[in-house]
Amino acid sequence: MEIIDRYLQAVRFWLPKAQKQDIIAELSEAIDSQIEEQTAQLGHPLTELELQAILLERGNPILVASRYLPQRHLIGPLIFPMYSRVLKMAWIFYFLGWLLAAICIFTFAPSHHPMSLGTLIAETLRTIWLTTVYTFAAVTVFFAIIEQYHLRSHFLEEWDPRKLPPLYDFNRIKRSSSIAEVVALIVVGLWWMAAMSSPAIVNNAQAQITLAPAWGYFFWGFGLLLAGSLVLSAVNLFHPYWTRFRAGVRLVSDALGWALAAWLCKANILADIRLPNLRYQTTTQVAAAINTWAARSLPLVVTLGAIVVAFDAYRITRLKRANSQSLDRS
Amino acid sequence: MENSEGGSDKITEIYENLRFELRRGSLILAVLAQLRTERYGYTLRKALAEDGLDIDESTLYPLLRRLETQGLLSSQWREEGKRNKRFYQLSDDGRQVLKLLLKEWRAINASLGKIVGEE
Repeated sequence: MEIIDRYLQAVRFWLPKAQKQDIIAELSEAIDSQIEEQTAQLGHPLTELELQAILLERGNPILVASRYLPQRHLIGPLIFPMYSRVLKMAWIFYFLGWLLAAICIFTFAPSHHPMSLGTLIAETLRTIWLTTVYTFAAVTVFFAIIEQYHLRSHFLEEWDPRKLPPLYDFNRIKRSSSIAEVVALIVVGLWWMAAMSSPAIVNNAQAQITLAPAWGYFFWGFGLLLAGSLVLSAVNLFHPYWTRFRAGVRLVSDALGWALAAWLCKANILADIRLPNLRYQTTTQVAAAINTWAARSLPLVVTLGAIVVAFDAYRITRLKRANSQSLDRS
Repeated sequence: MENSEGGSDKITEIYENLRFELRRGSLILAVLAQLRTERYGYTLRKALAEDGLDIDESTLYPLLRRLETQGLLSSQWREEGKRNKRFYQLSDDGRQVLKLLLKEWRAINASLGKIVGEE
């Protein structure tokens, strides 16, 4: 019956959030009734092909979802759910792309700094407005073409249930991810302990690179976080579903890691560089430049950290709704 | 100048659109009338089919939700046969609306009978 769950998942994707649960419960029950009746008629459990036939008769998940929505006609009602979803996603990706680009420019190109806070706000509002207009125009034109093509070819009505996306459980932790995390954390952890424990991180005939005394805090801080993450990934490997406790641990661990990274940016951590073929004055300037660039990258580090922590927080809120969100077909 | 096949396709398309329009109101009337007795979606669809009015589920369920939103139906989830099912029934407002719609439908039928005559 996995194909039925995949079908329900595909319909659910296009439904408005407020009605997802209710519509899917009813649709699931209706499909079960139909399967029960056909099973009784045929005298045997339905084969995969017979289940596919039931789904084909019901129609493409996008079209099924569209019939539950108020009929809106900017883009034809048939593909409106797809259009509105893609519009939101395109806007978010476009805006996030612009935000990261703006932070990079702000960080690494001081000449682009706005003259005042007012200019900054005006520039931001102008960009958001243009982002909205461009996204809306591009996505609307694209879907208008799709709509016209569908009216002529009815391509959405020709679909294959076997090609439905696999079932996705937000709370499930892929074993492959956990294994990759465990391996990566062991490798990084061993390198960290072996190569980064002393402030003199490079010390040979070709070069000497020395970090500031504060490095000890970062070394032990990141080391402890690596050890904690390793334990969490190992537990996730054997218990591949998030719990609120483990999701909370991941959030705290990520928040501390990014906070340490932010502090590292501002800590002037590079104390000294010695290269035999360069004058001391030159290497001092290089070290100072590296510390300056590290400090300038603080907004970027803070933004990336905020995105990671926001995703971790979202995972916890999803877990709170896990019971009501699950496709319980028992 | 269209070929006969193109012409036939066009006629079919026009017919299908008009048939859809014609059936839409009738389906609402039939659903409201069937739900004077409490039923869940699947048995409602079967009851309509047995009386000669086929309706596919992707049309029926959204229609039921719209009628409920308008206050013409009430629904409740209940366990039956080890499964949760959503039972629908005509509300008091629904009964009043059905009564008015039936009166209108009979009047239209009578008029059409006179206009079209026996075919």
